[in-house]
Amino acid sequence: MIILNNIRKSYFVGERELPILKGINLEIKQGEFVILMGVSGSGKTTLMNIIGLLDKQTEGEFYFMDTSVEGLDDEALAGFRNRHIGFVFQQFFLLPYLNAIENVLIPMVYSTKEIKHPRDKARHLLRKFNLAERTHNRPSQLSGGEQQRVAIARALINDPDLILADEPTGALDSKTGNEIMELFRMLNEDGKTIMVVTHDPKLASYGRRLIRIEDGTISEDITT
Amino acid sequence: MGLSQKISRLRELLEETLKILYYYRGRVVFSFSGVALGILSICVIVTTIDGANKKAYDIFEALGPDAIMIFSGSERQHTARERVNTLTVSDADLLQRIGGIYDVLKVYAVRGVNIKYLDRKWQTQVIGGTENYFTSFTWGFQSGSFFSHEAYENAEAECVIGAKVNEELFRGENAVGKVIQVGQLPTKVTGVLEEKGGATHGPNIDDRVIMPLTTVMSRLSNERRFLGMIRLKTNRDVDATIEDIKMVLRNSHGIPEGSEDDFMTRSSKDILQFVSVISGSLFLFLGTASIVALVVSGFVLANLFYLTIQERKKDIGIRRAYGATRKGILLSFLFESVFITILGGIAGVLLSIALEGVFEKLFNIPMEFSFKVVIFALVFSFLTGVLSGLKPALKASRIEPIEAIRG
Repeated sequence: MIILNNIRKSYFVGERELPILKGINLEIKQGEFVILMGVSGSGKTTLMNIIGLLDKQTEGEFYFMDTSVEGLDDEALAGFRNRHIGFVFQQFFLLPYLNAIENVLIPMVYSTKEIKHPRDKARHLLRKFNLAERTHNRPSQLSGGEQQRVAIARALINDPDLILADEPTGALDSKTGNEIMELFRMLNEDGKTIMVVTHDPKLASYGRRLIRIEDGTISEDITT
Repeated sequence: MGLSQKISRLRELLEETLKILYYYRGRVVFSFSGVALGILSICVIVTTIDGANKKAYDIFEALGPDAIMIFSGSERQHTARERVNTLTVSDADLLQRIGGIYDVLKVYAVRGVNIKYLDRKWQTQVIGGTENYFTSFTWGFQSGSFFSHEAYENAEAECVIGAKVNEELFRGENAVGKVIQVGQLPTKVTGVLEEKGGATHGPNIDDRVIMPLTTVMSRLSNERRFLGMIRLKTNRDVDATIEDIKMVLRNSHGIPEGSEDDFMTRSSKDILQFVSVISGSLFLFLGTASIVALVVSGFVLANLFYLTIQERKKDIGIRRAYGATRKGILLSFLFESVFITILGGIAGVLLSIALEGVFEKLFNIPMEFSFKVVIFALVFSFLTGVLSGLKPALKASRIEPIEAIRG
């Protein structure tokens, strides 16, 4: 599903080149549950941004769903993200003026996919995540764990091929964090491809594949 | 994308915009009321100018485009509100001989005359006019008719009363045939004039009693020689006729070369010109005020919007991550800003309708509300929305998702 060939990414500070990713080779297949682990500054977030089509590599080839994303314009990339990727962030990023179900429906606003009865689907997802009673609550009325579950429901509404989660437990206590990781495991068992980016070694055990990134290169890639 | 899909997307956009505006209502109120005030003043300008023009046109119509009025007293004396009588009956006869003149109306007015019917009293102006008074002014009657030829010839005490006088003395009773006291003179009412109304400043045009000039001169004021006003109609060029009139009158009054006229001429043209000067200065005053109001509210809107965008960076980032294009972000922010200003514009229009009466009293100018005003207001508020929303919306659209969602 995802193929990275010798991906390099550098930032330039004046004349000086600051390499972040130094040649990443990686393939992720349908149905995998990948934990991408690394300390801050290792380049894991940059890698996630590239995989999530939010950033572009300086060098190398990147195939997403057998399509080279090289040279796609803003509109095409936005469409790609909308159809194929569901994002989950550390800070949840729910829109404060929308209630839970409206937040879940956000990707539908930009969707060209045929999703039948999106509202019913959103309701179904909220029920599945034990949020049925929170359907019409604003984010400010929800706990951290609830907010993150709403965010995950939002990531799923458009039937994406890949769920990309950036430190999804970072803002939660460890018990709630574990619940969230269990949720990802459940989704993976249902067939979703999931990639969780984290610096927290305790989360490693949830995935079925652990990729460790150090100083811009992959130092370890274990499938359990 | 199908039409129904487009419509449902527009509805979603509208619903979302409403929620956003409600969430940020504190700021929205500021921008909204600024635009509303700006649009209100634009509406006032347009309606008053239309009103003034209509009034000017009405006056023009009423006087007739070929009418010339000559008043006693110089321009300077008129400005100083000095009343002097310089025009004479024989002047009128002289003027009648000028080529092209086909109607001569002689008027002598007496102000502040006490009139009485039974125990009802009123004070009004009594106008002595020649028999052509009513045809010359194209003034119709609600009942009765004008005084008779015999009454004019013999200076009999007959009169026609204006609608206001009729209301004050008769209160709905039939006035025709009744005898009222004009000064000391018992006078028979032969007719009641139609209400002209419309005059919002100066004396009420319906507040008058009209009697034969002969009667007023000989029995009411004991004035045999002088007139207050002569009104002429010509079928020649108005300006050329005025030149002739001036020559004749200066000659007859023996005014040496270089001295000012002791009379004043007015034609419909002067009145049109006068009104256009008034509406011009109104336009300047209100126009400046409303443009300032709109510009200020536009700036307020732009700045508040700009600040909001900083706050909504994450909002924008998440939308971009979930498939919003730059164009989509740009349009939704523009939509939001235009939505506020259009709403403000509508409020301004409604406010101006509500305040129409108040403004009429305040500025003494009739307002002519029209559909044009609504279009004008909406176009202006739309432009304000686009112009003030453009920079913030551009900024919003340039926000990169990765910088927005970075922890």
